[in-house]
Amino acid sequence: MLKMTNVSKIYRTDTVETHALRGFSLTVEEGEFVSVTGPSGSGKTTFLNIAGLLEELTSGNYEIDGRDISSLNDKERSRVRNEKIGFIFQSFNLIPELNVYDNVDVPLRYRGFDAKERERRIMGCLERVGLASRPTHFPAQLSGGQQQRVAIARALAGEPRFLLADEPTGNLDTHMADSVLDLLAEINEAGTTIIMVTHELTLADRANRNLFVRDGHIHDGPPELHFATAANA
Amino acid sequence: MDIGPIWRAMLRNKSGFVLIALQIAVTLTIIVNAFGIIQERSGRVARDSGIDEANTFAFASVLFTDYEREQRKTLIDEDLDLIRNVPGVINAVASNSFPLRQGGWSMGVALEPGNQGPESVGTAIYFVDEHGAETFDVDIIDGKNFTPGQVAWSIENDNTWPAYGIITEALGKEMWPDETGSYVGKTMFINDTDPVNIVGVVDTLQAPWESWTGVERSMLVPQRRPSEFVRYIVRAEPGMRDRLMPEIEAMLAASNKDRIIRDMTTMDEVRKLAYVGDAALIKILSFVVLLLTIITSLGIVGLASFNVSRRTRQIGIRRALGATKPAIVRYFLIENSIVSAIGLVVGSALAIGLNIVMVEAFSLEPLAWYVIPAGVIALWAVGQLAVADPARRASNISPAIATRSS
Ligand SMILES: Nc1ncnc2c1ncn2[C@@H]1O[C@H](COP(=O)(O)OP(=O)(O)OP(=O)(O)O)[C@@H](O)[C@H]1O
Ligand SMILES: [Mg+2]
Repeated sequence: MLKMTNVSKIYRTDTVETHALRGFSLTVEEGEFVSVTGPSGSGKTTFLNIAGLLEELTSGNYEIDGRDISSLNDKERSRVRNEKIGFIFQSFNLIPELNVYDNVDVPLRYRGFDAKERERRIMGCLERVGLASRPTHFPAQLSGGQQQRVAIARALAGEPRFLLADEPTGNLDTHMADSVLDLLAEINEAGTTIIMVTHELTLADRANRNLFVRDGHIHDGPPELHFATAANA
Repeated sequence: MDIGPIWRAMLRNKSGFVLIALQIAVTLTIIVNAFGIIQERSGRVARDSGIDEANTFAFASVLFTDYEREQRKTLIDEDLDLIRNVPGVINAVASNSFPLRQGGWSMGVALEPGNQGPESVGTAIYFVDEHGAETFDVDIIDGKNFTPGQVAWSIENDNTWPAYGIITEALGKEMWPDETGSYVGKTMFINDTDPVNIVGVVDTLQAPWESWTGVERSMLVPQRRPSEFVRYIVRAEPGMRDRLMPEIEAMLAASNKDRIIRDMTTMDEVRKLAYVGDAALIKILSFVVLLLTIITSLGIVGLASFNVSRRTRQIGIRRALGATKPAIVRYFLIENSIVSAIGLVVGSALAIGLNIVMVEAFSLEPLAWYVIPAGVIALWAVGQLAVADPARRASNISPAIATRSS
């Protein structure tokens, strides 16, 4: 369970203060598939980064599974990221010098699993995303859809409870996007909580809960509704 | 983090690492061999000349008026009398040369009388009276010093060699390699047929030529030589040398105006002059060692910094996937250790090869066993230090990079 209370995020540069998130509260329950939509610059990525412990919040309170995150040091935050959270990025973010097998291996090594356990998990996850036949390929030798599948395998290998995805289909054509989304739905079926930022309403529709972000405020409810109110206002 | 994936990633991006490994190899090759030479030269410079260098000085008295042989003898006796009675003087002697002076008298000595064949042994000769041993500060470890009766003036037109000698242990060992007892009482031949009875043995008194392989072989000969050019050697009490030098110079200049006193020099200066080449070589090679090490560490810093910026994104991704800051630092340290290991293995082989060539070409000593291992450890440590700062910067890259830049 993720529980955010009064969370705000302010980016300070020399000249400007950007209020990326303006004091919102939100609870994501176990097993939910949450979509996050909203205009560009509204704070979606910021929200995801805070949820995934990639950035620290400016004020407010954040608990994962009842544990207060703000008191953790860098090492403990790294550990939470490693064990509880899987990330999927728009630009795949595979490590170019490592082949498919070694890419999926990265979080497992930080976890400290032995070689046997790592191999079992890597091959299991590659199987699951349909790439078990290409462990020695390098990212540059794969299509975008295949790269994103490797990234999903890497995110799943640690058996995280939460999968955070920032526009996972943003760099894919519709066909590949659909198949990636099928995969995410399947993963959610199996019990993993997913929070996915997306621009596309058709994809957002496949989630069972929709969040809409505007000007750093997060609202619950289907995006169509918010677009409608925005248009009416 | 394990070596496997770090190594495999390096293979995908070889060129920079290969260059640095090569640089490390060449650096190791040169610095250990340079160090070997430094070590050898330092060893030479550190050899004991045998004399009390810190408290000894020398000068020459040169007659410019024609003196009869007997007048010259009298002047030398008077001079030595004056010098030896100056408070602060331990002893003084007139001799032809002294250690480190680079010029002197050498003779061949042999076990049998007759023509000196190749089996004769070269030795430096110091003509002294019975004060020579104390002035040169040599320990007579066997036998006795010359008695005044054994010391004599040389005789005009008579080349017969004095019958007594005090030799260095090294000379004895060269003459009688199998002798385990005493050299005292033995006879050797000089000047073809003149016998020399060994009355004493001293531990160390170097020949005047520091670069001669037989530098440890010398002999004190109890003969006084009344020439127009006389070299005096004076040993002072500790701390008195610098005061005595001008004092004695003035005293002798005043005591006899038919000669001049010149070439006043301390043994420290003599030593400096003798080893000026070695000292320069040691300085130059130390500088080379330092420079190469600095250049190599700069190369390592450069490559690591370049790799940090090249991998900014991947480091953020690793952080997002659960790498702690120390894990990022460790990645760079391991990567550097791998490059160093390759460079140092190749470098060790090259260093041994170069040493073999140098030993043969310049008849140097082979490297001591620990020089290469010490160089390996030192360069490995330099590498780790060099990547420490870039690695620390890498560990401060935010994991948010993974979502922010594309
Ligand atoms: N590191 C930063 N420093 C300063 N301002 C930032 C930083 N990161 C984001 N911002 C600002 O915070 C606001 C929210 O950005 P965010 O990336 O969360 O938007 P987004 O909803 O993900 O947009 P998009 O749909 O274009 O990805 C923006 O105004 C952005 O310029
Ligand atoms: Mg965004």
